[in-house]
Amino acid sequence: MVVALCAFTALTCWPAIGGVEIDLAGLVRNWSNGADKIAQLLRPDLTFLPRTVAPMLETLAMAVAGAAFAAIISIPLTLAAARPSNPNPLTRQLVRFCINVNRAVPDLVFATVLVAMVGVGTLPGFLTLFLFDLGVVVKLVSEAVDSADHPYLEAGTAAGGTQAQINRATVLPQSWPLFANQWLYSLELNVRISAILGIVGAGGIGRLLDERRGFFAYDDVSVIILEILVVVVVIEVISNALRRRLR
Amino acid sequence: MTIQSTTGGAAAETAAPWALSLTDVSVTYPNGTRALKNVSVHIEPGEIVSIVGLSGSGKSTLIRTINGLVPVTSGWVTAGGHDVTRARGRALRELRGHVGMIFQGFNLADRVSVLDNVLVGRFAHTPTIRTVLGLNRAADRELALRALDSVGMLEKVWTRAGALSGGQKQRVAIARALSQEPSVMLADEPVASLDPPTAHAVMNDLARTSSERGLTVLINIHLMDLARQYTQRMIGLRDGELVYDGPAAEATDADFEQIYGRPIQGRDRLGSV
Repeated sequence: MVVALCAFTALTCWPAIGGVEIDLAGLVRNWSNGADKIAQLLRPDLTFLPRTVAPMLETLAMAVAGAAFAAIISIPLTLAAARPSNPNPLTRQLVRFCINVNRAVPDLVFATVLVAMVGVGTLPGFLTLFLFDLGVVVKLVSEAVDSADHPYLEAGTAAGGTQAQINRATVLPQSWPLFANQWLYSLELNVRISAILGIVGAGGIGRLLDERRGFFAYDDVSVIILEILVVVVVIEVISNALRRRLR
Repeated sequence: MTIQSTTGGAAAETAAPWALSLTDVSVTYPNGTRALKNVSVHIEPGEIVSIVGLSGSGKSTLIRTINGLVPVTSGWVTAGGHDVTRARGRALRELRGHVGMIFQGFNLADRVSVLDNVLVGRFAHTPTIRTVLGLNRAADRELALRALDSVGMLEKVWTRAGALSGGQKQRVAIARALSQEPSVMLADEPVASLDPPTAHAVMNDLARTSSERGLTVLINIHLMDLARQYTQRMIGLRDGELVYDGPAAEATDADFEQIYGRPIQGRDRLGSV
């Protein structure tokens, strides 16, 4: 099994039979060039920091707004996509199909197309994050709802309740922790993704990153990368602390 | 015979007990299991009946045909003169609103408050839009609180259901069924998950509140002493067939052996406490 896997991997890199060409020699040939860039990156120009504050706040605003709007819309869609809360296979499969299509589109493709549709700026960034989060939350929460036990469904049905009554009064309050967990996770992902969305013109710190890279100002790029790293870690720490309190 | 669309109001207040009737009822599950075979039984309004049998004998299926949770494959089920077999949609929900049910596993929403769990019993009498917007009527809350009071759980209204003990959970479940102001009370192994002293206390609560309201009661139970002590009439099921029907107090050990299809064992009794 392992041997077969190794052989297959090797074969995919053999151009003569249609595999991709991986030019490992390039690593050595261009080494001095790469080392040069790394040396520049290792000397961040901290005086550039003040100019990054406004774009970084824009990035964070896109991340929070996208996650918040997705959170609201995710509630009815998740209930429609989960079997316990929607016994009708037709509407359930329809919602699931739409979500799967949504999830099949990479976030940068969304951003590129949306920039072309609504123009450069934060709006396409926000829309990209909103669509991306919707896919993540609805998919993961509806699957978690599917696999959980719902003994109260039978009681609600036996009492003569409609599915909407049962969902609102029991399924939803029982599923809050599942929702909150994924909402926070999608916020984490947003901060990371939105940092690069600017590269295709969708606003935020990514646009500045792309601009400085265009000027070969690697000392400025280095500052931006470090700043993104710090912000991502901070958001993750906060989100983890909040999630622990949900238990 | 159809259900009148006037729910609540006068009908709910009087809540006259219903007669129940199964005529030649068979249930075959999609996987081919024949859970009930040509069962016919008539229960008078206000009767307290136990259904006895081993697990897998069809007790749970029988009790669920009465509120339509399990559709019958052939035969007829009527409750209070209404045809359960053919009821669909709104008519079925309104019919279920008159039939309270409690379960072995309590079936409460653990993260939801005791009061909101009991308000589930008001579903059939509440417009969906009210529940969805979270606008409970004062009259419904009043009914829920009175039901909680009658099982001694009033001081736990705001507690999460998950924080209660097993006996307390089943009392809340009884309150949920009582808040429906039902005409029939169905109980599916109500004390099988409880320890013996708690089991007796919960059976007492169930019997007392039901008889106070003069309900028709159907209790699935596999313990012979509880069946004799708390019910008037006993129905025995074995492999989906009705094998005994008579007064519960006079059922002999031989009758139970016939229902179980094997000698009496220690675990067939709860024991006195």
